[in-house]
Amino acid sequence: MSIPTRILTVDDSPSMRALLNHALTTQGFDVSQAEDGIAALDWLALNEVDVVITDINMPRLDGFGLIEKLREGSRHRDRPILVLTTESSDEKKARARAAGATGWIVKPFDPAKLVAAVRRVAH
Amino acid sequence: MNAEEIQAIFFAECEESLVAAEQGLAACKAGTQDADTVNAVFRGVHSIKGGAGAFGYIALQGFTHTFETLLSDVRDGTVAITEPLVDLMLRGLDTLSDHVNAARGTGEEPDDASLQAEMTAAMAANAGAQPAPAPAAEVIAAAPAVEEVASSDDSDGFDFDFDAMLDDITGAIGSPAESAESDPDEDKGWQFKVRPHAGAMRNGSEPLLMLRELMELGGTCTDCDVDSIPPLDTLDPGVGYLGWTFTFPADVTEAAAREIFDFVGEECGLAVGESTPLPPVQLPAPRATAAASVAAPAAPAEPVPAPSVAAPVAAPRAEAIPQAPAPTAAAPTSAAQQAAPPAPPAPGQSIRIELGKLDKLIDAVGELVIAQAMMAQRLAGDGLAATEELALLEGLTRDIQESAMAIRAQPIGSVFSRVPRILRELTSTTGKHVRLEVSGESTELDKTVIERLGEPLTHLIRNAVDHGIESAEERIASGKSAEGTLTLSAEHRSGRILIRIGDDGRGINRERVLAKAIEKGLVAPDAQLSKDEIDLLIFAPGFSTAQAISNISGRGVGMDVVRQNVKDLGGRITIESEPGSGTTFTLTLPLTLAISDGMVVNVGDQTLVVPLANVVESLRPEPEEVQGLGASRAMINVRGRFIPVVPLHEAVGALNPVEKPEEGVLIVVETEGAGRAALLVDAICDQRQVVIKSLDTHYRSVEGVAGATILGDGRVALIVDVDSLVSRTLAGQSLAEAA
Repeated sequence: MSIPTRILTVDDSPSMRALLNHALTTQGFDVSQAEDGIAALDWLALNEVDVVITDINMPRLDGFGLIEKLREGSRHRDRPILVLTTESSDEKKARARAAGATGWIVKPFDPAKLVAAVRRVAH
Repeated sequence: MNAEEIQAIFFAECEESLVAAEQGLAACKAGTQDADTVNAVFRGVHSIKGGAGAFGYIALQGFTHTFETLLSDVRDGTVAITEPLVDLMLRGLDTLSDHVNAARGTGEEPDDASLQAEMTAAMAANAGAQPAPAPAAEVIAAAPAVEEVASSDDSDGFDFDFDAMLDDITGAIGSPAESAESDPDEDKGWQFKVRPHAGAMRNGSEPLLMLRELMELGGTCTDCDVDSIPPLDTLDPGVGYLGWTFTFPADVTEAAAREIFDFVGEECGLAVGESTPLPPVQLPAPRATAAASVAAPAAPAEPVPAPSVAAPVAAPRAEAIPQAPAPTAAAPTSAAQQAAPPAPPAPGQSIRIELGKLDKLIDAVGELVIAQAMMAQRLAGDGLAATEELALLEGLTRDIQESAMAIRAQPIGSVFSRVPRILRELTSTTGKHVRLEVSGESTELDKTVIERLGEPLTHLIRNAVDHGIESAEERIASGKSAEGTLTLSAEHRSGRILIRIGDDGRGINRERVLAKAIEKGLVAPDAQLSKDEIDLLIFAPGFSTAQAISNISGRGVGMDVVRQNVKDLGGRITIESEPGSGTTFTLTLPLTLAISDGMVVNVGDQTLVVPLANVVESLRPEPEEVQGLGASRAMINVRGRFIPVVPLHEAVGALNPVEKPEEGVLIVVETEGAGRAALLVDAICDQRQVVIKSLDTHYRSVEGVAGATILGDGRVALIVDVDSLVSRTLAGQSLAEAA
C-alpha cells in the first residue's frame, strides 16, 4: 500500500474515536477524526478522503444527516460510507442502506472485521 | 495510545454521559419532554453501551442494552412518558451509574434483574397500543418513484466496442475457465454464483471489489454470463446484466463467501451449487416494456426491493431517524417539522487537554505574575512607576492569568447534578418528601475544587434531609407544606464562590445542641455561648444530636469532616439557622487552589504569609490584656475569652523578632485541632493574593509550612500551615511544662 487509504471517522464519543483510531492506524490507514456531522462536513470541505466511517446518533448533525448531505453533491456520491451501528438486525441494515450507507460496522467491533469492512469498500 | 488510556477516556466519557442523561431526565420530570431532551438521554446511555461492548463489560453492556431499548421506544413514541416511567428511568440511571463504577472496579456490581424486568414490562405494556412502524416496507414503496428518473437518462449512440469491453471484464476476473474445467469438482469444490443488480452499485458500493474479494478468498471465476446483455439501444448502464460463477475449494465455507456480500445483501443475486441456476437479471419495472424481449421471465422471480440507482435518501430518512413526537400534544400536522431534525443548540466545541500540561501553563502564568510584580517594584524604585507600558503589561498579565484560570474552571453543575440521585436515595430511606431547587449551576470554579467538593456537599445534603427537614406529618402539624424544600445555589462573590445548602426544616435546636455538647464535655456546663457559637458546635469532632442513629447520617462523624474538607480547600463554612424555618450552610471557597489570599507578615528577619482563610482578626494588645502563664506561655484576653499566644518567631527560628506581645501584632486565627490561637508577629505588611508553590515538589514537606510563594520583590516567603503549627507549638509547650 504505497499511498495509505484515507479514512475520516465521525463519532461523538471520544473513546470510540480513540478505539477506531487505534484499530485503523495500526493497520496503516491514514485516519482523521470528527466529532459530529457538522464537524465532518467542515473537515471534508477542506480535505480529501477515501472512506468515511460515521456513527449514527450524534448531536448537531447525525450520521444519516451527514450521509444525506454528502450524497447530495457529486463529489461524495460514490464515496464509500460505513455506518457504525450497535444493532445487527436486518431492519437496521435496511435503514442504513436506504439512508445511503455503503455498509455498516456493528459495534462493538472486532478490529479485524473493521479493517475487512473498510477494505471491502475502499476503491 | 494504549488500551488503558482509551479505557480511561471511556470512563471519563461515562461520567459525562451520566451527567447529560441525568440532566435530560430531570428536565423530563420537570415537564420538558420533547424529542431533543429524550434524545439527549438516549445518546448518553447509547454512548456508554458502545464503549461497554468494546471493552468487554458484559454486565454493563447488557443493562445498557435493555435501558437503551426502552429509551428508543420512548424516543419513537411507542412508550408514553409518564411519571412512573420517568421514575423508572431515573432508577435505571442510578443502577447504570453503579454498573459503571463496577466496571471501573470502584464498586459492586448491582443486581439489576428486577429493574431490567420492569423495563421490559414497561415496553411490553405499551407495545400493543401503538405498533412500531415497519420502515422496510416504506423503503420499498419509495424506491420505484425514483427509478424512473434514474433509468431515464439512458442515452443512445454508444460508439465504443462493447464486445471488447466485455472481454476485458470477463477476462479481468480471475484466470480463464480452463483451469477449473481441468479439475472439475473432484475435490468436492462448490460453485458460487453472483449477479449484482442495479442497487449493488449505489451508495458507493463497487461489485468489482467484491468479486476481487471472492478471488482472494480462494475462488476461481469459471464463467461470466453475458446472455442477458440487450441490444445496445436498449442497454441501461445502471442495470446489472452480468453474472459470474465462481468455484471454491471445499475448505472455504459458504458463509465466508456470503459475508462478502453482506452490505449489498438483497441487491445482489446469490446462488450456491452447481445445479442452482444463476439468479436472473432484474430489470427496473417502469422500463419493462422496452426490455421485455430480453429477460421477460426474470422480472417477477424475486420479491426483493426494486433497484433504484439514485438512492431515495430523502424519503426514508424521515423514518430512519424517528424524532419522538411529544407524546401529549403532537398534532399530525407537525409531522413534517418533526422529520427535519431540529437543530439542537450547538454545544461549545471542546478539546481534551492532559491536566499536566494545563498545570504547567498555570504554573508559568504564576511565574509571569511574579515577574511582572518584580519589575513593577523595580521600576517604582527608579521613579518609573508611571511608565505607560508597565500598566499595559499589568493589564495583559492579569488577562492571561484570568484566562488560564478559566481553562481549569468547570461549571459546578457537574457536582450539583449528582444531588438528585442522593436525594432520591434519601427520600426513599427516610420517607420524607423533598423538592430540590438548584440555581447557579453554571458558576465556574477550579476543577480541583470541584472534585473535592462532592464529599462535603453530599454530607451537608444528607444532614439537611435527615436532621433538618421534618417528616410530612410534623411539617403539616407546624403549618408547613408536606413537601420540604432543599435549595442549592452557587454564585461568585468578590473573587470567591459561595455555595449555599438550605432547607426549610426545623432549624437547629440550640438547647439540645448545647445540652449535648455539655454532656459530651465539649463545653463547660456554665459556658455562656452566643447563638452562632452554639451552631458551630455541630462541627465539633464527635458531635451528634440524632436521637436515633439513622443509616444515613448521625453516626457522629461527618460535620467535623465537612468542616475539615472545606478548610482544606481554603474555604470556610458558616451556618444561619432560624428555629422552625430552616437552616442554611454557606460554603465560601476560593476559585482556585493555585492562588490564595494571604496576609504578609514580618517576623524578625523573615517574611511569612498567613492564609487569610484562617484569620479571624488582628489586634495590638494592651499590656494588661496579656497574662503570663508559667515561664514561657502567655494568654491574651480577647473580650473576656483567653486565647493562647503562639510566638511565630519561635516556630520559624527568626532572628531579632519582637518578643513581647504588647510590642507586636497578634493575629487571631481559627484552627481545626486547637481552637483559636493568637500568632505573635512583628508587623503586618500587606494583604494580597499569593501564588502557592508546593514545597514538596521542590524540596520536601515541612511540618508547619503549607507552601511557599514569591513576593513582588522577588523574595521567597513561606506560607504558614496554621493548623499544624499551632497544634504543634501548643503541644510542645505542654510537654515542656510537664518535663
